[in-house]
Amino acid sequence: MKDAAQNPFNITKAVDFSDQEIHDYWVDMPTGDSFSSMAKPTSPMPMLIVGGKGSGKTHLMRYFSYPLQRIRHGRDLLEGIRRDGYIGIYLRCGGLNSARFRGKGQPDEKWDDVFAYYMELWLSQLVLGTALDAVGEMPEVLSREPNIVRDLLSLVDLREHTSPKSLWDLNLLLRGLQKELDVAVNNSGMTGKLPVHITVTRGDLIFGIPKVFAANLSPFRDCLFLYLLDEFENLSEVQQRYIQTLIRERQNPCSFKIGARTYGIRTLKTYSADEENKEGSEFEVLPLDTILRANDRYQEFAKRLVAKRLAEFNRVPSNVETLNSMAQSLDKHFEEFEKSPFGRSETAFVTDKYVGRDRPYFKTLRQNLEKGLDADAARGLSVPDEIEKAIALLRCPEFPLLEKVNIFIFYREWSKCHNLQKAAKEIADDCRAFLAGTLKHGRYQTVLEYFRADLLAQLLRETDQRQRYVGLTTFVEISSGFPRNLLIILKHIFAWATFNGEFPFRGTPISIRSQQAGVLEASEWFYRDSRMIGRQGQHVMDGINRLGTLFRGIRFSEKPSECSCCTFSSDLSRCTDVARRVVDLADKWSLLINVGGQRDRNTERVDAKYQLNPMLAPRWDLAIYRRGVLALTPEEIDAAFNPEHAGKFDEFAEKRIARMAAPFFGHARRPLGGLPPERTQSLFADGDYD
Amino acid sequence: MIDYTLMYKGELPVEGDWPPAVRWDVFVSAYTSAERVQRVFRKAAAESRHWLVFPEYGFTPEKCPAGAFASESRDEAEYVRSFWDNSIGDIAGRTVGIDITGFIRPYLIFMLRWLAQRGVRRFDALYTEPVIYAKREQTQFSDDVVVEVRQIAGFEGTHSPDTSNDCLIIGAGYDHQLIAQVAEHKQFSRKIQIFGLPSLRADMYQENVLQAYRAEEAVGRHTADESNSYFAPANDPFVTANTLRQIVTRIDALRPITNLYLSPVATKPQVLGFALYYLTERLNTATSLIFPFCEAYNPETTKGLSRIWKYTVELPPV
Repeated sequence: MKDAAQNPFNITKAVDFSDQEIHDYWVDMPTGDSFSSMAKPTSPMPMLIVGGKGSGKTHLMRYFSYPLQRIRHGRDLLEGIRRDGYIGIYLRCGGLNSARFRGKGQPDEKWDDVFAYYMELWLSQLVLGTALDAVGEMPEVLSREPNIVRDLLSLVDLREHTSPKSLWDLNLLLRGLQKELDVAVNNSGMTGKLPVHITVTRGDLIFGIPKVFAANLSPFRDCLFLYLLDEFENLSEVQQRYIQTLIRERQNPCSFKIGARTYGIRTLKTYSADEENKEGSEFEVLPLDTILRANDRYQEFAKRLVAKRLAEFNRVPSNVETLNSMAQSLDKHFEEFEKSPFGRSETAFVTDKYVGRDRPYFKTLRQNLEKGLDADAARGLSVPDEIEKAIALLRCPEFPLLEKVNIFIFYREWSKCHNLQKAAKEIADDCRAFLAGTLKHGRYQTVLEYFRADLLAQLLRETDQRQRYVGLTTFVEISSGFPRNLLIILKHIFAWATFNGEFPFRGTPISIRSQQAGVLEASEWFYRDSRMIGRQGQHVMDGINRLGTLFRGIRFSEKPSECSCCTFSSDLSRCTDVARRVVDLADKWSLLINVGGQRDRNTERVDAKYQLNPMLAPRWDLAIYRRGVLALTPEEIDAAFNPEHAGKFDEFAEKRIARMAAPFFGHARRPLGGLPPERTQSLFADGDYD
Repeated sequence: MIDYTLMYKGELPVEGDWPPAVRWDVFVSAYTSAERVQRVFRKAAAESRHWLVFPEYGFTPEKCPAGAFASESRDEAEYVRSFWDNSIGDIAGRTVGIDITGFIRPYLIFMLRWLAQRGVRRFDALYTEPVIYAKREQTQFSDDVVVEVRQIAGFEGTHSPDTSNDCLIIGAGYDHQLIAQVAEHKQFSRKIQIFGLPSLRADMYQENVLQAYRAEEAVGRHTADESNSYFAPANDPFVTANTLRQIVTRIDALRPITNLYLSPVATKPQVLGFALYYLTERLNTATSLIFPFCEAYNPETTKGLSRIWKYTVELPPV
């Protein structure tokens, strides 16, 4: 265990922040797309703010809440609220403990009514409490209070309760009614009975309180009462249906912002004649992580977030300018490999490590060629000496990365049943010309450009080195629009650096060793943490494990079909319902990221396309940048994601990877003459099931 | 203010006969295949003895002991009510002994509320310590599949819409997944963990902490803060109840707790302590006992039998 007490990234969740910290740690997008312009707090149109865990929903919603308005505006609170044009009433749905509104021998319909009533009492207390906190001291309140109380009491069936004289008493009455209901609900488990008298009609207080306040008190005259309902995923489908009904029946001066995880919206149905709310008509959607991911300035925003953390932690005052300048200089705090032509410095360790002995990739190539020779499946090579000659031609000792390029192209030629002697000579010529700078275009250049990361990853693996996920830019990329993931990566890196005796962000850059350990630990955390509740969670994780294994198999094969293989496409409409459902859940739990559609090369059909969340890349040594797309057949998707078809997965995966493995490249073991003709598929083709 | 440690806690012999005074009118135990559960059931002297078979253990009818009560209901209130109405009935004037060792926690917790509601003011709870957990710190008690996190029936509280200083106290056990799920469920609350120390066996504390650390990210900012880690003996419900009161009093004094959540996922004696504290001091307040409900539990997680505890629990009138 590492000491994390003095770690600026120790807090990774908005829920762990106090209101003051939410204010202090707030960072907006660099320019243009500010969070306010995205979330539109003054818009009467309700909004669903959806995003995966750690996308910043809670931070955003709390930023618009009344306690934060209070901090922002200080003594000028009412003037500030007037300028803001809204007052934010923040509610965590988790606090409702909504799971108790079911079962206990009561019919579902009864629970629907009881929950709606409970929600009415709960939200009423919040809006009343918030408004009173804002204007409670105003003389205007004292003079208008009897009128306000009278208007509000006309909405409540008081029964035997004493009529409250003040707004505070009214709030106590609502609290008392809620307590009565709590006791009835809780006891129903033992008594089997649920005696409830509903005293308020649905929506009367939720919309009524703001209306009465706006009509009677000047600070609220043109003010929107913004209900900020966070953690919406904690409500069941029927409970959400009630909220959807409130959205549909919304009355001025009220609006809603609903914060939910991507999987958390269970229904859009309402109780208003069973109508369904429609995006654009009744609500709009803010898909937070998708927007952040797609934003060109996400890198900039994320680095400012880090800079803000460090500034607050070190108690350094920061404004926009200092923050920007800090953000720009952050990269230097992370050790990285020096960039050099043809990866010389990045691969220097190979030259040092294998002095006087064969490099492992040549050893493997030799073994493969010997097998090919034995099986008569290495066209152009007939005696062992010729193997050595071919290998000698592929050598480029000063530049191990180019040796990997040579071997990769050689394997490609082999898979097409070309003459290997000839191929080796051509590759050697290309390599020489490329080094001399006379080869500007063509396959050599393209292979290096597209497969550089994969070949380097292979090289690291073959030489027993850890994969290199290093540098702040890389970590921001890995976070994929989830700021929390970035903070968690940095938290682990900081902890490892401290553990290793370094002084992160105070002098010497954080070592590559600490970065590697931290990012791997963060990846393992993400893997554990992303597991959804319930049996289906296991199915999702099983599917993700199979997919990760397949991607890894491809990346480290002799002739990977796709570069940076971490994305797949498929015609999901032809998959089983179960597989579709599991893929959908993996998407909603952010294990897969939907990256739009992929046009199938043969049919023009647009297939679904998903990237494995880059947070998981270190777990399987995969690329974090998306390039090639693996087109999977519906049968393969079923084998990966449908537990009933999982038995076929190994066979499918082996078959697919065998096409990329020497010496047979998926061809049946047969004499040379029987090998099929060359295939003409493009090296970088996205599709075609290979 | 009640001092829970004044309640009687004693040991029963592992080998040989129990004193003749140790007998009950009704004895209830939860059936598992563990030696420590079976041996105690054989030794318990009672007018009527009852096995409860919980659906989460997955016993097929042919593997259940004859006359055992079994129900497919996974609702703790429904299950206990059904058992009681079918097998026990009126309890007035009868003594009750319950072996809590094999109980699945929510059923045990609800059983206490049920007894209190039926007017039982005192009962004996037995707990048998194992020699070791079968796979040390890697022992999995649940199948890792948490179906939902929710309040336990009868322990649901009357909560406040003000959630600005909510607090969650977790009795931290070996199942880090359970800790993580509970912490996630009440993610906005301040989290405090109670570890079993002294533990049942010397090495179990280290194993316990190692496992709980895996839930660090879910537990949040307070994990590394020592003021948020407390200790209570793993085999003492009464000290656990006292510790809970001390924690709550301390936090409340600094700033009033808006809503309090208690989640015992540790040893059964600690679970007993949590339930006892709730019934005695937190009933009908803004306090709930919450639990990560699992699909299945492993009916055999321990080896051997080292000590048998008898706790005489005094229940408050409710």
